Amino acid sequence: MSTDSGAAGTGVIHDIGYQGYDGPRLGRRAIALALTWHSLRSAFGIGRGAKAKIVPVLTFVIMCAPAVVNAVAMALGRSHVRVVPYDTYVGPLRVLVMLVFIAAQAPELVSRDLRSRVLPLYFARPIRRRDYPLAKYAAFGLACLAMIDIPVLLLYAGTIMQVHGGAAVWTQTRELIPGLLTGLMWAAVLAAVGLALASVSGRRAFSTGSVAIFLFMTWTLTTVLTKIAQTTGPGGTGAHLSSSAGVTTAAHLFGLISPFTVADGVRQWLGGTSPGIVAAPGRFGPAYGVMLVVFLGVSLAALVRRYASASVA
Amino acid sequence: MSTEQAVRETAGNVLVAEALTKRFGPSVLALDGLTMTVGPGVTGLVGANGAGKSTLIKILLGLLPPTSGRASVLGLDTATQAARIRSLTGYMPEHDCLPPDVTATEFVTHMGRMSGIPPTAAKERAAECLRHVGLYEERYRQIGTYSTGMKQRVKLAQALAGAPRLLLLDEPTNGLDPAGRTAMLDLISRIGAEFGISVVVSSHLLGEIEQICDHLIAIDGGRLLRAATISSFTRASQVLAVEVDEGADALAAELSGRGLAPVLAGRELLLLIGGDETFDAVRDAVAALGLPLTRMEQRRHRVEELFRADGTLTGAIDEH
Repeated sequence: MSTDSGAAGTGVIHDIGYQGYDGPRLGRRAIALALTWHSLRSAFGIGRGAKAKIVPVLTFVIMCAPAVVNAVAMALGRSHVRVVPYDTYVGPLRVLVMLVFIAAQAPELVSRDLRSRVLPLYFARPIRRRDYPLAKYAAFGLACLAMIDIPVLLLYAGTIMQVHGGAAVWTQTRELIPGLLTGLMWAAVLAAVGLALASVSGRRAFSTGSVAIFLFMTWTLTTVLTKIAQTTGPGGTGAHLSSSAGVTTAAHLFGLISPFTVADGVRQWLGGTSPGIVAAPGRFGPAYGVMLVVFLGVSLAALVRRYASASVA
Repeated sequence: MSTEQAVRETAGNVLVAEALTKRFGPSVLALDGLTMTVGPGVTGLVGANGAGKSTLIKILLGLLPPTSGRASVLGLDTATQAARIRSLTGYMPEHDCLPPDVTATEFVTHMGRMSGIPPTAAKERAAECLRHVGLYEERYRQIGTYSTGMKQRVKLAQALAGAPRLLLLDEPTNGLDPAGRTAMLDLISRIGAEFGISVVVSSHLLGEIEQICDHLIAIDGGRLLRAATISSFTRASQVLAVEVDEGADALAAELSGRGLAPVLAGRELLLLIGGDETFDAVRDAVAALGLPLTRMEQRRHRVEELFRADGTLTGAIDEH
């Protein structure tokens, strides 16, 4: 281009002209992976301003607190027994923290792009329509997994430092694995539900609101209804109001309302022994399995459909 | 049809549309059997709002499927090779499309990545593209703090970030003040001339398109109205407009005396340019009369004149 002028080397700054590009062009898969990585970073506010990091950092620190408390308790106590289970961790805390994390960060991944109308730029590039929501799901699933399983791994690390002997470590490791898998199940279903709800609107308030309201209302309903069913059940104060079999069935089934209790029900159905966070599925374990698939399937289908419609571009 | 055939048929043409039709619902016909070819260089796509310009651009990118007909971009079929087309084409939409809370550097780098440029090269290209559109230190600031003109530049930079062979620019001067328009048009003109990238630029303002385009495609009601080269009509008429604060009639008489045939149009005198002696004659006439000369401007035939009031083109322009 215009670099070969006689003034070269005299310290004059030249406009070297437009540089073409002959390097490699990555394919659709590599681009979708790049989008996943970019979205995963933005789920934790990385690459954004300091304000964007407040919620993810705070929720993560709170989520790690039981692991730290456990490590301290084990170090100071005599018995060296782990006080926090790997699979349920601290149930109510996990529900609350994930609720806040998802309501705050799922809009960060999907609602933002809707609002700034950046989607036509993505769809004018090599990726296909469905690559976008799937990359976002993969990213947010990984983010939720990190939120749930990194504290579990910390709990494990804190525990094995206090136990002695290979057998004890092996026992801890065997108990850890179902814990990590439970985290994976939570992450898979919560990320799907969260993104599907967050993508309804480009207005952040609506987006966060719909996630928070859905997760909070279903959780509250499950908790309250299960409590009522249990107190009016056999041995409860209102046993005379209805047949005991009916009440017990209801107590088992109310857990199907909330994604949190559905995931926990599946854990118990598959052999998890720690006490459930609210509901016990009882003989309705398979129903919880079906409901998990329904939550996952419906959410993902809604998410993909959202981006298939012409209106977003 | 095989790809090779398609490439041969469209050789040398950046865009080809054949009987392209797009219907939205039963009543809206956005494109109505549009057939056209676009060669390399800067091509203006002009038409009133709702003429089908944006719909055409979206079909060319594979963002919308045509109801019938076919189109090719860079010799690639939009129906079967849309992904390849999109990796070689940069698109600047008409509407706002920038997130406010990231810096221009980060945004353009990311959009380069999304075009398939590897990470390091994407960073280099982002810096380079932002420099070419005239954003220097500002590029480390969040886009939300930018003026409309700067945002338009970022939109153009993101289209360049993927190292395209073709740029589709949808109303790039929208919302800009006159100075911003001129700067944007200069930039587009440079991209076409110096960067070796073909550019299709849509606008509903015909006057500004003529300044930078080699070719012109006019569409209306989803149909091709006219395709022409700009040079075919800039040659057609060279007019000198002379404006004086007072004494226009006296000047007209003086110029007639010097063998010219001025036409009084409002406050201006219009003269056909015969050569340098025309300018000399005007200078001498104004000096002789001692008139306050406000403006002397060489005019090309205006693209507006292509359109009559009923939206059809005049026959004055050579068909290309």
